[in-house]
Amino acid sequence: MNTRLESIISAAKSSWAAEQASGRIRITVTRDTSSLARGADETIARLNAAIESKKLVADVGITGSWGFCWMEPCVTVRSAAGTHTILYGNVTPDRVEEFIDVVASGKDMPELALGVVEGNPTAEIPLLSDHPFMKGQVRRVMANIGRIDPENIDHYLANDGYAGFGKALEMDAEAIVKEMLDSGLGGRAGAGFPTGRKWDFLRTATASPRYLVCNADEGDPGAWVNRVVLEGDPHLVIEGMLIASLACHADEGYIYIRYEYPLAFARMQKAVEQARAKGLLGKNILGSGKDFDLVVFLGAGAYVCGDETGLMNSIDSYRGMPRIKPPFPAQAGLWNKPTNVNNVESYANAPMIMRNGAHWWSSVSDAKEKGTKMFTFSGSINWAGCIEVPFGASIGHVIDQWCGGMREGRTFKGFQPGGPLSGVCTANPNLTLTLDPYRELGLFLGGGGIVFFDQYTCTIDMCAFFLGFCEDESCGRCTTCHGGTQRAVEIMRRIQAGGGREVDFETLQKLVGTMIWSNCFHGQFAMTTIKTAVKAFADEWREHIIEKRCRAGVCRDLESGLVTRPHVEELALAGN
Amino acid sequence: MTAEPELRELRELVAEFQPNRGHVMPALHKVQNTYGYIPRSAFEVIARQLNSTPALIYGAATFYSDYRLHPPAETEVAWCCGPACRVLGGDRVREALQEELGIGLHEQTEDHKVGLHVGQCVGTCHEAPQVWVNGKVKGNLTPESARELARGLKGDAE
Repeated sequence: MNTRLESIISAAKSSWAAEQASGRIRITVTRDTSSLARGADETIARLNAAIESKKLVADVGITGSWGFCWMEPCVTVRSAAGTHTILYGNVTPDRVEEFIDVVASGKDMPELALGVVEGNPTAEIPLLSDHPFMKGQVRRVMANIGRIDPENIDHYLANDGYAGFGKALEMDAEAIVKEMLDSGLGGRAGAGFPTGRKWDFLRTATASPRYLVCNADEGDPGAWVNRVVLEGDPHLVIEGMLIASLACHADEGYIYIRYEYPLAFARMQKAVEQARAKGLLGKNILGSGKDFDLVVFLGAGAYVCGDETGLMNSIDSYRGMPRIKPPFPAQAGLWNKPTNVNNVESYANAPMIMRNGAHWWSSVSDAKEKGTKMFTFSGSINWAGCIEVPFGASIGHVIDQWCGGMREGRTFKGFQPGGPLSGVCTANPNLTLTLDPYRELGLFLGGGGIVFFDQYTCTIDMCAFFLGFCEDESCGRCTTCHGGTQRAVEIMRRIQAGGGREVDFETLQKLVGTMIWSNCFHGQFAMTTIKTAVKAFADEWREHIIEKRCRAGVCRDLESGLVTRPHVEELALAGN
Repeated sequence: MTAEPELRELRELVAEFQPNRGHVMPALHKVQNTYGYIPRSAFEVIARQLNSTPALIYGAATFYSDYRLHPPAETEVAWCCGPACRVLGGDRVREALQEELGIGLHEQTEDHKVGLHVGQCVGTCHEAPQVWVNGKVKGNLTPESARELARGLKGDAE
């Protein structure tokens, strides 16, 4: 391995070891957007105050998300001797006083414990890996998230960080691409296009300079997998892009983060500065003669910038309108120079593939899709969290195992597999988390944000909402898209207001056929929700259009129907 | 109404940015972070600095929903329009807020004390249905607690 990298890593390892053997109690608090929403900063402040007033020999640090987002703030406590570490959930500010008293007395707090992270399980606290939420998960991209301080590059370096890059430094570009191809890694934003092939397009491009772009404009409502990575382990993305820069002979990289993720933006900027200070970015990286630098770029709220060409236009300083392809990014991307765009999770997998080899990486999944995938779940379920699993689990299993079941009094009616363009499915528990079954139904499994609906959700109302979203976010280039979404929204509103006509089925179908001629995915797939919902929930559509009845009681201009809707307040209480 | 900043002040603010380096959005962000919105005069200043035209800069700024061309209200309430919030009653929360504040989405109360706009999902869906009050999450709302929240914000203003 590169000798400079070796010495950086060994220095980081010894400082990590010293930290672990400090003889002090080590407390870490999850500090990400989810936990901040539940008062993490206040928890941290009160922990520090209590430690000081009780003269406890303890340090408080921060980590990224363990995935237990509904239980934030999550706190780990590592005993002074370093023999055991326990993860606790729901350590809200009001519980800190009691919590610290228990910690100070050298005891555990089973009522808040999620599991034992390090050491032996106790009579009352099982291993974290035995927690129902953790069972069946294979955490690779998330391996360090929760365990290391995302704002400290030494923590990353001490936990196999930049070792994959070290390996890649000794390989030629073709060999790196081959390893990526052998792994079978497919694009993680939903399309599943082989990442290695994308890299090869840029590798064989002729012009220069060449650019890499990391698409962190995670706009699908209900998806926050990229946020968990960016906020929890930013160096993983940097290392992935460094490896790609070797494979593609790229000169500069952009990480495009959406405006709604200010913490991810700040952490990424900090990580890039730290990497630069260590000589991992910039001119003549680690004395290898290779130049590569990264710019962290903040979006400003536009869903279509999640399209790779829209994103490039956004960086190029124009309106973020998707371009017409060809030329493809590998031919003419940023500033019309060859460019490769990958999703956060795609880059984040590269370090592991380099470190452990393609065979190890792909062996985890029985499905056609290789490797692991992160998913986030939300909606009418008990646990809104983030997981990483091999492809192939069934939706029924997902709900029982990782979503904690449906909320009380709510039955599973349907779900959206990944974003407003992906469509809606009926409550089919046998559908698996793989790409093909959705394609066969005319849907697609998107970036990993799955939203579950219950009997109180009106399919027509959801379709109207998604079309409204697509209308708002249309860039305005294609008449088929901006006019089509407007027309669809008008029809949906009229149906909801009790003015449905039999001919609406046909008109909507026509719109599906027309909008498919739009330039980018946004217009082409804006009608997917309606197209799939008309088939999947045919009865409900007929009730709305012909009988003027809304069974869920959401469309108030229609007669409420089959489901007696409890008072909204009661519903919310049941949710708490 | 806030007075427009001096041109010289604006020029200094964006002096670090260069043409053809993807600096339009960072420049717009810097102006908005400084003044809370993008004053009209900034378009020409940024255009000159970046060797571009006001039309292109204005075009870029108006494409994105998070650039504001008017000063924000003292308290900005962003209502999460995401599907998880909607499934758990988010639309009723919006109705309650609008009714109590007497304004629609993307509007401000007459005294510019409270504004209401659409926020996009950031994956704090465990708090659904939710709003952000000046960026801070207020979650698990019911129409009733949303009304209370709105009354409080209006009350603070009085």
